[in-house]
Parts: sequence; C-alpha cells; structure tokens
Amino acid sequence: MSELDLSALPRPKSQPWQVRNPKNTWLIAAASVLPMVLAVIITLVASIDPTVATILVFLPLQIIATVSVGQYIYGKKGRGDAILVIFTIFFSTLVGVLLVSVMFSVVVNGIRAMSPQFISQNNVYISPTTSLAYGGVGHAVLGTVLIVGLTTLFTIPLGILIAVYLTETRGRMRSTVRTLVQAMSGLPSVVSGLFIFALLISPNFGNATGFTQQAGWVGSIALFPLMLPTVARIAEEALRLVPQELRNGAYALGAPAFKAFWQVTLPAARSGLITAALLGVARIIGETAPLILTTAPANNTNLNVFEGSIATLPTYLYSYISQAQATSQQRAWGAALVILILVFVLFSLARVLGSAKSTKAKKRK
Amino acid sequence: MTQLQDSSGDIPPRRQLRTKPFSRADRVFYGVTKGASSISIILVSAILLFLFSQSFSTFQTQGLDFITGSQWNNTKGEEVFQIGPMLWGSVLISILGIIGGVPMAIAAAYFIEFMAPKSIAKVATVLIDLLAAMPSIVIGLWGLYVLTPVVSHWSELLYTMHHVELGFASFDIPLLSMANGKDPNTFGGTPFIAGWIVAVMIVPIITSVTREIFSQMDRDLINSALALGGSRSSVFMRVILPTASGGVTGGVLLGLGRALGETVAIFYVLNLVSDINWFNILESKGGSIASLVLQKFGEGTSEEVKALMAAGLVLFVITLLVNWLAAVIVNRAQPWRKI
Amino acid sequence: MENIATSASHLRSEDVNVWFGERHVLKNVSLNFPGNQVTALIGPSGCGKSTFLRTLNRMHELIPSAGFAGRVLLDDKDIYGAEVDPVDVRLNIGMVFQKPNPFPTMSIRENVLSGLKLTGRRGYVAEEVVETSLRRASIWSEVKDRLNDPALSLSGGQQQRLCIARSLAMNPEVLLMDEPCSALDPGSTRRIEETITELSDSMTIVIVTHNMQQAQRVSHQTAFFLSEDGNPGRVVEFGKTDDVFNNPVDPRTNDYVNGHFG
Repeated sequence: MSELDLSALPRPKSQPWQVRNPKNTWLIAAASVLPMVLAVIITLVASIDPTVATILVFLPLQIIATVSVGQYIYGKKGRGDAILVIFTIFFSTLVGVLLVSVMFSVVVNGIRAMSPQFISQNNVYISPTTSLAYGGVGHAVLGTVLIVGLTTLFTIPLGILIAVYLTETRGRMRSTVRTLVQAMSGLPSVVSGLFIFALLISPNFGNATGFTQQAGWVGSIALFPLMLPTVARIAEEALRLVPQELRNGAYALGAPAFKAFWQVTLPAARSGLITAALLGVARIIGETAPLILTTAPANNTNLNVFEGSIATLPTYLYSYISQAQATSQQRAWGAALVILILVFVLFSLARVLGSAKSTKAKKRK
Repeated sequence: MTQLQDSSGDIPPRRQLRTKPFSRADRVFYGVTKGASSISIILVSAILLFLFSQSFSTFQTQGLDFITGSQWNNTKGEEVFQIGPMLWGSVLISILGIIGGVPMAIAAAYFIEFMAPKSIAKVATVLIDLLAAMPSIVIGLWGLYVLTPVVSHWSELLYTMHHVELGFASFDIPLLSMANGKDPNTFGGTPFIAGWIVAVMIVPIITSVTREIFSQMDRDLINSALALGGSRSSVFMRVILPTASGGVTGGVLLGLGRALGETVAIFYVLNLVSDINWFNILESKGGSIASLVLQKFGEGTSEEVKALMAAGLVLFVITLLVNWLAAVIVNRAQPWRKI
Repeated sequence: MENIATSASHLRSEDVNVWFGERHVLKNVSLNFPGNQVTALIGPSGCGKSTFLRTLNRMHELIPSAGFAGRVLLDDKDIYGAEVDPVDVRLNIGMVFQKPNPFPTMSIRENVLSGLKLTGRRGYVAEEVVETSLRRASIWSEVKDRLNDPALSLSGGQQQRLCIARSLAMNPEVLLMDEPCSALDPGSTRRIEETITELSDSMTIVIVTHNMQQAQRVSHQTAFFLSEDGNPGRVVEFGKTDDVFNNPVDPRTNDYVNGHFG
C-alpha cells in the first residue's frame, strides 16, 4: 500500500445548501396539493366513482407529481424516496381511516341508544320493535361483571403464580411451561368454548344429561384458558423488570426465597402485576364465542352465576346484531359502545399505572 | 513477606450445589408455584387429549375425507362430516387478510417510527394498541353494517373487470369471476369481505410488533447509512427491512394465528357454504372452521358435535403450529424479550 | 452496644474452583481471612475476584449453571457441607454490593430493619437497632430526622451506607464488600473507608476493589488475582498489604500495583 489512488471515484455532486431553496418549498407544496385538487375536479366533471377515482386518477397523479418533484430537487435518489413516502402515507391513511371508522361508528351509533335507563334496565318485555326508551343492558353489564369477575378471581392468582415460577424459581419445567402458556395464547376462543361445552354440558359424553346446564360459572371456566396466558405473560415481564440486585440484596441478608419474594420483589412489581390483571380482564371482557356455547341468554337480571340463564354484554350484542329492526340494531351498537368504554377504561388504567412504573424506574437510575 | 500462590495442584472434585430449599416456607412457596404451573401443562394436554379422544370416532368413520371432502349431513344414519371447504376457507381468508394487512401494518409502523412527529406517533400508538384489544364481536358489528356495504361496492367495481377482451382472445380472470359463470346478485358474504375484516383485526398486532422492532433498531446504523449518502428508500429497502424481516415475519404469523381462530367477526360477514370455493373471492360463498363450530353446535346431534370437536382439534393444531413458529421467529429476532 | 462481638470469626478458603457452565473461571484459590482483619482482593477486571467473593457466602450458586469445588471454612466448619442451609450462611456472612440497592418500596428505617423482618427475627428493640446500625455505618447524623423518608430519596453515597447499615443490623461475623465505592464520589468513598476501619474492630471484612490507594488505606492484607490468556483466574500473590504493594515477589504484581497494566 505505497500509493493510494484518491481519485478513483468522482466526488458526488451534491449541493446540500440548495435543498432549502424557497422555490423548492413551493414545488413541494404544489406537488402535495395539486394532484388532490385535479383529481377532485376530474371526478366531479366526469362523475367517476370515488373509489375508482382514488385508485385510477388521484394515486397516479400524485405519484407523477411527487416523483417528478423529487427527481427535480434531489436527483435520482429523490425518485425512490418519493415513492416510499407516497406508499407509506397511502397505506397509513388507509389504516387510520379503517381504525378511526371502527371507533367512530361505535361511538356515533352507540350514543343514539345511550341513556341512563339503557345502562340500568334489563331486557324483560322488550321485543325487537320496542322503542329505545325502554329496556337496556343493565342485566348484561351485571352478568359480564359477575362472569368475568369469577374468572378473574381464580385466573389472576394462578397467572401470577405461573409468572413467579418462571422468574423466581429454578424449576426444571420452566421452558415447558413457557411454551405451553404461549401455546395457550393461540387457543381459538371457540375451541375453548367447545371444549368446556363438550366436557361439562353436552349430554353426549359421559352421563346422559351432561354434568351441568349452561350457567354463568361454566362461561367463567371457558374464559379461563383465554385469560391465563395474557396474565402470565405480562406478569412475567413485570417481575423480570425488578432488578436482580434487589433480590440479591434480600438473599445476602439471609432471607429465605419466599420472604424475599413477598417483602421485596412483590412490592417492587406491584404496579406491573396490576397492569397484568387489567389487561387480562380487557382480553376477555368482550369474548363472545365461548359464552355463546356455555351460557344461556337471559332477558331478566340474574345475579346467580351458579345457576340459570344469564346475560352478558357480548351475548346481548350477539343476539341483537343481525335483527332487521332499526331499534334492535341500535341496541347492538349501544352494547358495543358499553364494551368499548369498558375496554378503554381498563386500558387507560393500565397505561397510567404502566407509565407511573416507568418513571419510578427512571428515578432509580 | 508475601507468598506466591501455587495453584498448579490437583483440582478437587466438583461439589453438588443444593438447589432445593431447606425451610418449610420455601418448600411450600416453590411447591405452590410449581403446582400452578403444572395447571398450564395439564390444561393444554387435557384440551388436546379430550378433543382427540372425542373426535377419534369421526376421524375413523370419515377418514381422510374429513379434511378433503366437502359434504356436511347430520341426518341420522347417513352422517357425512367433511370440513374441506371450511379449512380452505379459513386459509383463504387468512391469506387475503395478510395480503391486505401486511403492507398497511408495515407502512403504519414505518410512519409512526420514522416519519410522524412525536405527538402524532404517540396518539397513533395508543389507538393501535387499543384496537388490538378490541373485542371481535365489535369488529363484527362494524364489519356487518359499515364495512360490508363499502367493500361490496368495491367488489362490484372489481367484478366489472373480470372479463378481459383482447382482439384475438377473451378470457376471465379467475380471481375476480364467479364459479361456472354464475351471475352475481349480491356481493355480501364473500371471502373478500371476510379478508378485509381479518386485515383490520391483524393490522394492530402486526403494527405493534413491527413498530417495536423498528424502535429497537440501531439508530446509528440508520444514520450512518444516511450519512453515507443513502436515500430514505434505499435505507428502508437495504437496511431497515432486512434487519427487521425476522421480527416482522413473526408478527405476521402471530396475526395469522389470530386470523385462523377468528370466530364471531367472520361469522357475521361470511356466507358459510359447505362447497369449496377455491379462488372466487367475490362469490358469496366461503368457509371458516371457527364459524362452522358456532353455527352448528346448537342443534348438533351427538355425532355432529364430535365432528365439530374434530374440526376444532384440526384448527387448534394448526394455530399451535403457527404460533409456535411465530414464537421461534420472534424470539430469535428479539432476543431481549426473553432472557 | 453490649451485644456487638469484639472478636470475629475467621474465614478460610481451600482450593476453591468455580465454573460457569463448562468455563473454568477460578482455579485453586486458597486464602486465609483471620478475624478482625480487612482483606483486599485486587486484580484486573474479569479475573474472578468478585466471583470468588460471592462463593464466600454462597451467593454464587444463585447463578444458574454455576459449578463449585473446594471448601470454604467459617471457624473451621465447611459452609458448603451437605447439611448447611445457604440461607443460614448468609445470616453470618453479610454482603454489600457494587451498586447501592436499597429496597425502593421501603423507608430508611424499614430498610435497616428489613434483614430482621426478612429472616423472621424477634426480640429486638427496633429503635435501638436502627440507631446503632446507622451510627456504625456513619450515616446516623444525616438521616436521623427523616427515618421515614423513602430510601430512594438519599444520595448514592448515603444509599450505599444505608445498605451497609442494613447488613450491620444483622450483626454478621464477616462482611463481604464488592467494590462498594465504585459508583460513589470521593467524599462518600472516604466516609465508607472510615466506616470499614471502625468495623474491623468487630468483624472480619473482605473487600474487592479496583482502587489501589483504597486497598492500601483500609486493608491489612491483600490478595492479587490474575487471569492470563483465557486461563482460569487464580491468586498470584497474597500477604501483608505493605509487602504486596511495596515489596512484591512476583513481577506481575509489581506491574499491576504500579499501574503498568489492567
């Protein structure tokens, strides 16, 4: 390496200081607005279908405009960037439109059905044509609270214990358990319902009548395999976030594992574990298929999860969803809004707790 | 006087380090967590074993036709249960959902992570996480009353293009035409619409996995590529996508797992017909195992319920495989997720 | 303060070997830690001195895949014996870590008492234990008016002295310190060194340090660890601190203590 040829490549001819040329700013603005205006005019004049116009008129115009402006300002590398930007924005907008559409239609249609009595009354004496001034989802809200509450009661301790086993012990089954929990999270909800239905209710197996009738508690059990993996996974992450030094500090003082966990690790992970519980509840609160298979729908208020038919928000929504009458459809939207609100509340609580936890963790550093 | 240490002597034999706790409280503690954990083992094996034992007779009487055939008859004495159209329908809908969902999800993740201002990115992230938690029945309701009319309209437009007339030849595009040239009178209940529903349901999942991977990517790598004079697009194609591809694939598979098991949302927007529909996605005829279970379990005869369990078992095994593959890929792409 | 022992136990390691998985990281370390003496363990990073320290109170085996051979004797009794509960070993042999790790959910007072609570000890006067321990860790005057504040409200140096007080509340025979000053400013370091000197009246102390001056200031004897060319770490030289620093036998010790490598 005696002589190094420094002139092997010509220097790139870029002129960075020209990028912010005011002329270019105008060009970019024009490229962003003109295709849209042009497309709208063409669509209106030729009265083309808006969908067709978007794909066949607006998009090509926009691509031509952006690519040529990109080419003009940045040269060859501007062309690729222009296409990347157009496609990113196009698809992101599509995502945004779809997602906002879901929220928007649930809120707008649901609010029409919403009233104090819609939240508090039940569905007795309500026919598909009954005015929205009567009846509501009160019984279904109670049923959901009871069934989901019962599931929560035994799923949260179990989920957290599994997480503890995975993070705090050196048990030999850890990788098996982790794999199976992951597998369980892929269990289709209808299969979970079918399993419990066939095991406990269907008269075709075991004894002639089935072990039990459809009832709230059977629904709770059917929800269990769906909630457990969510709780266990998030609780595991929460426990993992507790620094190992804290556990070591406790062990170095001569603490037995149980005490170290109970007095040091658990309090440090508390908010994360509450998040796990909340997201677990959010996961099953709108679960429909298992409840259709394992609970019998009711119009009256039933507070007994252990016997009789019982309504829940998802099954209420299910029963009204495909009715032809406008009021019935509005009841369905109303129930959807109630579910959405519940999910939103659970989610916000989890987020607030989660961010409180992360600021604390930052402070510790 | 200091001493030099001689450590060249023989190494004593290794000693057994006791891992079992001495105190009773610890033994109980470990025992309880172990017991809780074995519930997960028991539960998954119980579901598999039970479904298998109950559906065994179905597999025996129906044979391989259970998977490939396309008849469903529950009349006593002449029972035929075959899930070919449902199985293929589940796959077809999922493929459509992924074709539609993946570009949207990657674009949204790229937009949030690399293009959007901080405030918009934050709102979009929350919105997408919230939608990932949206119960499928709410999506079903929206799909039935809001999406179906719109997509039916798109289908109608697409259908007008199914026949291609060239000067010397004319032919039908299979994907856009109807079987046996059947004339359509409705564009509702098609696999095309169900595919859109699946896309809407898996976009949040794929977006959040992809976004997380993008956000963990080495900014220095990207900046140095840009500093070398690379353009945004070349950095995206040559640096970001290859680095993130493993994780994105895992995210897509996670979404696929959810798509395959999706029940109520599809139940409302799809016309279940026990006749295989290979690729005529605009025809009001489709299948989905999960929806089949929901449709048939109520009035099911004992043989029929067994057949449904067989169908559920097939579905579970498929989702198990898909999820397992997804976990392997995601864990390899995101080692920080696991220790 | 009558229950503070003035003569402490002595600790001895015999042919201690350590593996992580199949990797042999420490070979035949035999050291003697007489009662009421401060022993400094020095050596370049990765030579296994912290690992060795962790074998002395059986914290080592909390790492999965850890392997061990040899003996560690506390007053001539093997702490790795089949009938010995590691939890009891750690009651007698306390440890202070490199990074201050007060329990974040507890107050200053609760942190001091945490060891007693965690081990289910009864029959102590809480106020007395808190004051004595904080005094011995020379932090009493700084915190006596805010004992119920959260432990994380203290500065890094104060947190570390709180962690020392937490260990002292258990009144251990031996105190192991793993680079206790590496994350601290010079002022806090000096105070902790004073604390160590005072503590050696009542206990045996083993301290890992990267700071040569610190080793000379606080320790009675010094062991120099070295791991060369991927070979397992071992002790090159061991003796009175003065001799190791001023009159070393091995040339590598001489190079290290004079800052020529590591």
